Amino acid sequence: MAAEGSDPDEALLTGVGRGDPAAVRQLLDRRLPRVLALARRMLNDAGEAEDVAQETFLRAWKQARSWRPGGAKFDTWLHRVALNLCYDRLRKRRDVAMAEPPEQVDTGPAPDAGLLGADLSRRVEAALAALPARQREAIVLCHHQGLGNIEAAALMSVSVEALESLLGRGRRALKASLADLAGQGR
Amino acid sequence: MTMSLDRFAELAEIYGGDVARWPEAVRETARALLVAEPARLEVVLADAARLDRLLDLAPAQSADSALLGRLIAAAPQPASAARRWLAGAGAAVGLGVAALAGVAVGVMIGQPGPTDPQSAQSVIATDFTADLSEALEEPAAL
Repeated sequence: MAAEGSDPDEALLTGVGRGDPAAVRQLLDRRLPRVLALARRMLNDAGEAEDVAQETFLRAWKQARSWRPGGAKFDTWLHRVALNLCYDRLRKRRDVAMAEPPEQVDTGPAPDAGLLGADLSRRVEAALAALPARQREAIVLCHHQGLGNIEAAALMSVSVEALESLLGRGRRALKASLADLAGQGR
Repeated sequence: MTMSLDRFAELAEIYGGDVARWPEAVRETARALLVAEPARLEVVLADAARLDRLLDLAPAQSADSALLGRLIAAAPQPASAARRWLAGAGAAVGLGVAALAGVAVGVMIGQPGPTDPQSAQSVIATDFTADLSEALEEPAAL
């Protein structure tokens, strides 16, 4: 699960830097869904996720011509940029929330607890969004984005032990808040 | 490497119910322990896997065609024939300028210059004084 080996995106990036439209399309097919998923799960907002993904790739296009092989993998770089943009937005939300107390949204189980499909998905998304941002980031990077512990810890600028602590606390909190859905996670 | 049952349970709580997604360094040991203690540890993994499956339900998001279109339009464009020609011409002009500059420097080095630095300074000082005195003699019209 370590971040080792050559960069699988290197050849495509070279093509993007030359202005090869096929390389642009392939790189977007390969990486845009990951960036969108990351931003959506970090921000719990489809519009903001799209904005973050767009800004991330606009920055990638600027880097493409001068990309130096042998440094950080492009996927890692994308994650770093996207996470920074997500945190910018989370900070703005916090500032707004401090100025204007939000309405209280009940994310607990509905009275008729039999949830299916989209409802279930929304419950999980709400539970994830209710976690402290660093715990959510750890879970999204390791579980959803499939990054190894070393790579995720490096992205978050923490030790592997600290990452494990964030993952453990986050998963325990999710397990508690989704306890009523345990039977539906079969 | 050895692993306690408690550490196995802790890793399941941290990394989930699929040992294949645990850190590579502990996978082999964990699998060996699972073979030795299947009854106890399969329950631990099943419990962690239930949360994994719930987490999988957190919605991702697919890229819509408008976003794709904007990103494709903003991507670096291939250099056109005209731009390639201009780039080549620019390089040629640059080389020409550099060559001319080299010739000019060579000519200047070859010219006899003032041998006495003080005489050169006095010329500059005289010119400056002359300009200043002219300016003082002819006040600007209001």
